[in-house]
Amino acid sequence: MSQWAMVIDLNRCVGCHACAIACRAEWQVPVGEGYRRNWVKRLGPANTPHGLAFTFYPGLCNHCDHPVCVSVCTADEEEKVFKCPKTGKTKKMKVRATYKDPFTGVVLIDKDRCLGCGACVEACPYKARYLNEELDEPKADKCTFCYERVIRGEVPACVKTCIADARIFGDLGDPNSEVSKLVKAGAKRLVSKEVNIGPNVYWVGKEKDLYLLLQQAPKEKTWENV
Amino acid sequence: MKRRDFLKLSGGVCAALASLQLDSKFLRGLSAAEAAELPGSLGAKEVPSVCDMCFWRCPIVAKVKNGRVVKIEGNPRSPTNGTRICARGNAGIQLLYDKDRLKYPMKRVGARGEGKWAKISWDEALDEIAYNIKETMKKYGVHSMAFFDHGASAGFFREIFEELGTENFSNEPAFFQCVGPALLAYLYTVGYQAVGNAKVDLANAKAILLFASHLGENIQVSLVKDFIEGLAKGAKLIVVDPRFSTAAGKADIWLPIRPGTDLALLLAWTNYLIENDLYDKDFVKNHCIGFEEVKKAVKKYDLDWAAKICDLPKEDIKKAIDILAQNKPHVGVHPGRHSAWYGRQDVQRHRAMAILTGLLGAVGLPGGLYFPPTPPIAKVKLMECHEFPVKGIFEEGEKEVPPPEVSLKEDYPFAELFHGSPTDAIIKATLTGKPYPIKLWGVCGVNIIQTIPNPYQTKEAIKNLDFIFCVDNIPTESVLWADIVLPDATYLERYDGLYSAQETKDYVALRQPVVPPMFESRPAFQIALELGKRLGFKANYTSEVEWLDAQLKKAGYSVAKLSKTGLFTYEVNPYRDRKHLSFDTDSGKYELASEAFADEDFPAIPEPDFAPAPPKGYARLLYGRVPVHTFAKTMNNIWLNNEWPENHLWVNDEVARALGLKTGDEVILENQDGYRSEKPVKVFVTPGIRPDAVYLPHGFGSRSPMLKTAYGKGVSDTFLITHYEQEPMMGASSHRNNFVRFIKDGKVLSIPEIRPVPPEIPRFENRKRA
Repeated sequence: MSQWAMVIDLNRCVGCHACAIACRAEWQVPVGEGYRRNWVKRLGPANTPHGLAFTFYPGLCNHCDHPVCVSVCTADEEEKVFKCPKTGKTKKMKVRATYKDPFTGVVLIDKDRCLGCGACVEACPYKARYLNEELDEPKADKCTFCYERVIRGEVPACVKTCIADARIFGDLGDPNSEVSKLVKAGAKRLVSKEVNIGPNVYWVGKEKDLYLLLQQAPKEKTWENV
Repeated sequence: MKRRDFLKLSGGVCAALASLQLDSKFLRGLSAAEAAELPGSLGAKEVPSVCDMCFWRCPIVAKVKNGRVVKIEGNPRSPTNGTRICARGNAGIQLLYDKDRLKYPMKRVGARGEGKWAKISWDEALDEIAYNIKETMKKYGVHSMAFFDHGASAGFFREIFEELGTENFSNEPAFFQCVGPALLAYLYTVGYQAVGNAKVDLANAKAILLFASHLGENIQVSLVKDFIEGLAKGAKLIVVDPRFSTAAGKADIWLPIRPGTDLALLLAWTNYLIENDLYDKDFVKNHCIGFEEVKKAVKKYDLDWAAKICDLPKEDIKKAIDILAQNKPHVGVHPGRHSAWYGRQDVQRHRAMAILTGLLGAVGLPGGLYFPPTPPIAKVKLMECHEFPVKGIFEEGEKEVPPPEVSLKEDYPFAELFHGSPTDAIIKATLTGKPYPIKLWGVCGVNIIQTIPNPYQTKEAIKNLDFIFCVDNIPTESVLWADIVLPDATYLERYDGLYSAQETKDYVALRQPVVPPMFESRPAFQIALELGKRLGFKANYTSEVEWLDAQLKKAGYSVAKLSKTGLFTYEVNPYRDRKHLSFDTDSGKYELASEAFADEDFPAIPEPDFAPAPPKGYARLLYGRVPVHTFAKTMNNIWLNNEWPENHLWVNDEVARALGLKTGDEVILENQDGYRSEKPVKVFVTPGIRPDAVYLPHGFGSRSPMLKTAYGKGVSDTFLITHYEQEPMMGASSHRNNFVRFIKDGKVLSIPEIRPVPPEIPRFENRKRA
């Protein structure tokens, strides 16, 4: 079973924001408050139990195992045929306007069916979605792991531009992939006691840097109030 | 091939994860219409070119759909950046489509600085500039003109001013406000320009030493990539910086040095290497001169002394130099770039870095200073002045313009080596008419008001001019002061020169138009040719392609041949066998002691020289870069502005506690001369800066209302840098001898002196008040 995933190496990341701009260009994300699929937040310089630290939170959609954004979607369920980009195998499933692709684990939005209600935007504890109101009709938008590029043989835009080669993209379903190896070696996710919905973006780095990063883990079950 | 079939062939995820390919490769077989319908930038037409969002100029591939540039990526053929480009490179699209772009030539109708213009034709604009150049030459002589240049376009105009013969044909902020002192220091030690894009092989270093470096905050893609590569391979990192920078965040040892005391640390380390027999004896014996003099000169400087002067723990200083010594000769001592810090010590501080490098033997071997390649292209002259535009300026039969009676370089014995004259001398001559009047300025691609220290003085100088013209893409505050404004085409709309990195791997890359020039903008090449024509110049080439082909011919290339790939690579040998090591210095050796310096009555070996400590109640104003902006040039770019709209002031946490400040509080800054920030700045409280300094990222606080995105966002550091001192050897203007205190709710907040200042360090004395 495939699950696309990303590991970001904070030892390499210099917080240059190339990823964020490449993503904005690739997917025509308009400029506006909260309008982004991909972001960089600066953490520190701040004291940690492991010493003074200065690192970054390069963030994007976590393509969670249990995506709460999917369960709050207000569109009606419809049957959709999914196709495995690797084998061409197909599978029928009833889904709403946003769903988790059964062959890649990527959480996607069917823009034709999105009602623009904004429920998924509110539900995401990582604030990884935004409602694009610059369109004729508002639609939710977020990172797709560059699904459309990857199935055509390209890498995600953020990975391609990363000046420090800090972003490693791959399939957790393949135990020999670099992401699988890094996850096995202890890469960290943004989860907390309160919020653990199986995110698939991981970070590696120095203890002090991860200390600052892990404080960014959401603690509020945002989806419960939607 | 149908799209469906194509998808089947593409190989899907496995191929995606395994390979990086140009889109065009796997989109082969699609019709143009089908390709344009693909999502994102997929299926776009690809035009290789060269970035110009900063002066490092990475090779790029611009992607065009339906006539619009939709994406910019690195050129995968580039041996330096490959597919990688930084945030600014990615955002180049928003320079091209900036709503505030200069659209047509304009003539001033209001007062200088008001930015009130009337639209005029290209002919009228160029006639007016040519007329004023001739008039100025006639009335005041050739040297009464100065050209302020930066960026790719500037070179074409520089050629005109140089050919006309003014000694002020170039005033690059990149030189006299920035890299000049470091460049001079390395030139006289190693014999070549080891700085600029520094020739330090960080990718293969086993230990790296950085001084106040903005690596990671100031992005040169190949350098950051090499730096990270080196660290990933296990290099130890030592960062000397009053601020906990991005690089410090990755360091093994951070030395938060008292600002302005770097020479103490360097001299004590030099002594430590010699006293403890830790230097590279083979290199010093066979390839250096001046070792015995150095040994004698630094003898009295020990680690205890440095610890006191620099306000650093002795154990950390010792640990750092031991790491460097253990990893010699594969040590990268990076000279940085901007070195116009304090004035007097700037060249010597960098000499001390070069001496340390030599003692570590970190020269010509992996990890150390390397030897830059020379790209295999011909230098050609674009145009020549056969008939001088003003009669009587030159004697009959005279080929060269005589130098002025008193040169603006007069006070600086080493300024002669470099293009143009020191900025301060030009500004003073413009203000006072001494030693001769300067009455005309040309400005291209540089926002001088946000670059040269004391912008109040710069504005006064501009008021004294008979004429000033600006060539730019956007209406910066400097453009507001122009009499004639010329809209340059952006780098995505024009041919330009040929570019190479001259690093451990190299290429020759072609900049070519991705889309045609918008509005009435024109490429600088064409503007300069037209201006030259009006000044009696004869162009040796009539088109960019002809001019470029003449340069490429030597290597067997042409524009036609390069237009598909954008670049060619060539073999580089950055390292040298020690048996065959030679240096292009006077002695042919690596010069630990500089006789040339001594000949001009400067120390042959650096001596302790410390920048004055802040006046009581003030903190030193440090400035620097953020990774998404280039100087004060990119703040109006909507994507970059969105990413980083304003700057924040870093304040030490102990200082903040004493003053009752917390992150997000707003303070007005007042400098030692009484100048205040234009508006309050938000405070960022952090343990990552020394208590005797504050840090304000550069380039913000735009004062041009015509830059609608950038205007009034953040606070300008340059407008608080009103005091500066001249570097005495080559005449750079210092930037770090300015100090601020805070004003909050109308009350002055004095900065407490938390770290005591030893008597060896003088205190800054106020000479003037605004």
